[in-house]
Amino acid sequence: MKKSEICVIVSIIIFIFSLAYITSLGGLGYLPPVDVRKLAQIYLSSTYNPFEPTNTSSGYESVTAIVWDFRGLDTFFETAVFYGAIIASIAVYRGVEIDTRKKPIGMSPIAKTVTRLSTVLIPTVAASIAFHGHLTPGGGFQAGSVATVVIVLIVMVFGLRKVILKGLTKPKILLLRSLGLIGIGLTAIGLVLAGLVIGVNAYIFQNQAKPIARISYPMWVDDILVGGSLLLFNLFEFIAVTAGFALVLMLFSIEEEEVRKVIK
Amino acid sequence: MEFPVIVASVIVVSLYVNLGIALYGIFARPSLVKKLLAITILSDTANAFAVLVGYRWPRTGTPQPPVLMNTTDYNESIKYYVEHAVDPLPQALVLTAIVIGLAVTLFIAFIIIQYYRLHGTVDVRKTKALSR
Repeated sequence: MKKSEICVIVSIIIFIFSLAYITSLGGLGYLPPVDVRKLAQIYLSSTYNPFEPTNTSSGYESVTAIVWDFRGLDTFFETAVFYGAIIASIAVYRGVEIDTRKKPIGMSPIAKTVTRLSTVLIPTVAASIAFHGHLTPGGGFQAGSVATVVIVLIVMVFGLRKVILKGLTKPKILLLRSLGLIGIGLTAIGLVLAGLVIGVNAYIFQNQAKPIARISYPMWVDDILVGGSLLLFNLFEFIAVTAGFALVLMLFSIEEEEVRKVIK
Repeated sequence: MEFPVIVASVIVVSLYVNLGIALYGIFARPSLVKKLLAITILSDTANAFAVLVGYRWPRTGTPQPPVLMNTTDYNESIKYYVEHAVDPLPQALVLTAIVIGLAVTLFIAFIIIQYYRLHGTVDVRKTKALSR
């Protein structure tokens, strides 16, 4: 072992022990804490609070309420970072053409049959996670990650060429991804546009009525808690995340020789 | 020592071990693939830490996930919810961090594959020799 490597290991051990010592002195507070912070109490009490109609979000799930309502603008920019990473990945593969005249390479009929069943079951689970995001743990991000699994399965079992021949091409997935992002943007400014039309005050990322902005997305529809803008955000994020990950994972499965043609 | 404190201590120690492994992978391993694996371990450790800090063990009863479950009597259920539910804010931050982390990891993986295609190696020492 070289001297430099020993130096690195010793430095890491000293660093970790210092952090552990700070934690044992109470650097992170008493673990596990008995109470949550005041901010968390405010979030919890206003996730769904019919007694404070101008201070409440519109779902039973606090995490979704924070992600898309209390800190909606944060999530919007986080989604933008996500898109940046996806766009950068696509840029690396710019100019790569997939030759669809070659025979698609797939797996055995057993794997294909199981995958055909999964193509119905997995998106159903993903959709339930997205549509129930404001009621139970879940939401657009998680549902999108689940739905991506089925795209990966199809690409692995039937082959990328087969998928492209069936019509799931890069421009179509890009369009779907853009529609998701546009949907998120429109939901964010939906009440502002409505406010301009009917002549009342409203804010971006507003979900329920506020003391000086008296319009809101519908919270209940026929005794069903629909969650106002939370449901729309989850739905569009579901589409956007599925399309984004599907595109990147499809790029991953392009054959090496086809990529090599582009690299000079 | 109480049971929750023992469990929290074990989790903290294992997270610090994970942190050490991740830092070693990033600083000392020459392979870019292993550096990427170490970065994912580091981000997962940081996420687990955030969730642990937001966890709680209330004085009475057991901790509850941040989902309002009893919807019959809102007055009572919201009071109970605030007293027993864990902090939802770290969970919300970790949720988006995981998805963005995955997208960024995929991008870094793309870059490493491209790097391999151009240089024929993912060993940073050999690349240093190539640049001379």
